[in-house]
Amino acid sequence: MKITILYGTETGNAEMLAEDIQSEIEADHEVDLSNLEDFAPGDFDPECFYLLVCSTYGDGDLPASAQPFADAMEADKPDLSAIHFAIFGLGDSEYDETFNHGPKKLAELMIAHGAQQVGERVAHDASGSDMAEDLAFPWAEAVIADVSEKLGEAA
Amino acid sequence: MSGKIAIVGAGPSGCYLAQALLKKAPDLQVDLIDQLPVPYGLVRYGVAADHQGTKGVARQFARVFERQGARFFGNVSIGRDVTLEDLRAAYDAVVLAAGLSSDRKLGVPGDDLPGVFGAGRLTRALFEHPEAEDLPDLGAHPVIVGNGNVAIDLLRLLAKAPEELDGSDLGEGPSRWLAQSGIETITITGRSPAVRAKFDAVMVKELAKLSDVRIEVVDAGESDEPAEVKTVEALSAIHGHWTGARLITFRFGLTPKAIEGEGRAQTVRFDTETGEELIPCTSVLTAIGFEAAPGLPRDALISGATDAEAGRLAPGLFAAGWFRRGPRGTIPENRADAQALAAVILDDLSADPARVGGAVFDGLDQVVDYSGWCRIDAAETEAAPEGRCRSKLATRETMLGVAGARETTK
Ligand SMILES: Cc1cc2nc3c(=O)[nH]c(=O)nc-3n(C[C@H](O)[C@H](O)[C@H](O)COP(=O)(O)OP(=O)(O)OC[C@H]3O[C@@H](n4cnc5c(N)ncnc54)[C@H](O)[C@@H]3O)c2cc1C
Ligand SMILES: Cc1cc2nc3c(=O)[nH]c(=O)nc-3n(C[C@H](O)[C@H](O)[C@H](O)COP(=O)(O)O)c2cc1C
Repeated sequence: MKITILYGTETGNAEMLAEDIQSEIEADHEVDLSNLEDFAPGDFDPECFYLLVCSTYGDGDLPASAQPFADAMEADKPDLSAIHFAIFGLGDSEYDETFNHGPKKLAELMIAHGAQQVGERVAHDASGSDMAEDLAFPWAEAVIADVSEKLGEAA
Repeated sequence: MSGKIAIVGAGPSGCYLAQALLKKAPDLQVDLIDQLPVPYGLVRYGVAADHQGTKGVARQFARVFERQGARFFGNVSIGRDVTLEDLRAAYDAVVLAAGLSSDRKLGVPGDDLPGVFGAGRLTRALFEHPEAEDLPDLGAHPVIVGNGNVAIDLLRLLAKAPEELDGSDLGEGPSRWLAQSGIETITITGRSPAVRAKFDAVMVKELAKLSDVRIEVVDAGESDEPAEVKTVEALSAIHGHWTGARLITFRFGLTPKAIEGEGRAQTVRFDTETGEELIPCTSVLTAIGFEAAPGLPRDALISGATDAEAGRLAPGLFAAGWFRRGPRGTIPENRADAQALAAVILDDLSADPARVGGAVFDGLDQVVDYSGWCRIDAAETEAAPEGRCRSKLATRETMLGVAGARETTK
């Protein structure tokens, strides 16, 4: 399957996780990796499954590298109805009121433009004891299986 | 591309720089040198003990050594153990990422009285920096001067009840010191009106979780500016928070004019918009910025720089992070900065295979390499008591002892 991993980050944790996910799945899939700040809404390809990895900053805001993408989405209003994506969030439960609001906002933005979310949004907690990859690898496997079934493709 | 690059300082800017350089040019030899036996700079000794999530970037930095091939030379002070000249001769490029660790003084009469303490001095003591001075007696009524995030960190730590430090890596001594501090009131003062205070609104919001305080905000002000509205809202939201007896008072528009007292700080004299105000205190904690520590001639290097904005100090000599920019900016800014600087360095780099690189440290005693740090890290994590995620080794000797220990306990 063609998969593109897009990450939104501020201090680099989401980038590191995105790279880890790429290494984990690239034996079985054709995987591209891109920072959201280098990705335009016009780049979405219906042939491709998108794995979004995004953190949260400020007061429940998108991280810096996701901001230009969000602005471009608002401006371009692309039709993403043929696009499938899944999303994994990074946050910190110390910020309890806005825990993982960055990825939540990003998912809402995708859905608002018609994109179809696959699986649940899973959240890593920087104050918790789990390593991000221990949550993200099973998540990636599950959403890839899901989307394969949906699109009637072999994983 | 090949070449040898030495980065002086293994704090966030040094580590992000190594990460960015090795991403662009994996064949470089990048060596991170730190005067401490342990890496990560203020991530370990500045970022508050109760903000463990923020310290998570250390996992990325570990990768720089473990997977990207950077080397760590700890317990090596540039300017003392090796001169900057010798280092420059040994490497194709040298980057100064040594931070700024001295507290800026208030610059008013009495700012050197006993009982006046800088935020850097206090946080180093709280977070068990091996060169920290002892934790002082602050008395019942400390006054904090400064309105940045560091001032709020200090305020929050001083105000926390012992159980609110669960999950942190605050050491046994500092934890006891806090529990027995006897602090009854904390007044935090800023020069600007509240709307222009430098702290982040989230830092203020976090204070609403304190379990044993009463918070009063005097004159949070009003604003329509989006950036300022957040601050005003956060301050208004914590005003009146009442869960205990310890009183926290936010005061704005107070410019310190003098610290007065007999043999010890007892009063801060402020200029206000309408005249003067005296605030009695038992100690004064200044959190108004940092400047270069002695050791490297920062001021001369920056003022003589070929292009300080881009990070170029002289041919083959660069500056990064707080050392270049001044004591402003959080961890993410150092990352952006480092990525830009990596491009500049690679542009300028011309590798000379005759340079000796890390061999310049060969004659030195007790250099700690990355595996030595891993032994310290493992020992600290294993020794963590109930309610703590780590128990720091607090002296250079104990660190060197553990780092040098032969058996690899992992
Ligand atoms: C108390 C405090 C709390 C903070 N909290 C936060 C926070 O919660 N979140 C956030 O994003 N930012 C925070 N910051 C800001 C953040 O710490 C800085 O942006 C960042 O650490 C700057 O990185 P640096 O690498 O330039 O300097 P530093 O982190 O200071 O690293 C410099 C390194 O150089 C070494 N060194 C110095 N001189 C020499 C020498 N002569 N030879 C060899 N090595 C040397 C030092 O030992 C040190 O390890 C805080 C800052 C402070 C002071
Ligand atoms: C200043 C600051 C603000 C943050 N705000 C939030 C927040 O509102 N909600 C949340 O869930 N996490 C928040 N976080 C936690 C980060 O999302 C978390 O540390 C994450 O691992 C960072 O990933 P990144 O390096 O890819 O940006 C914040 C962290 C910092 C340092």
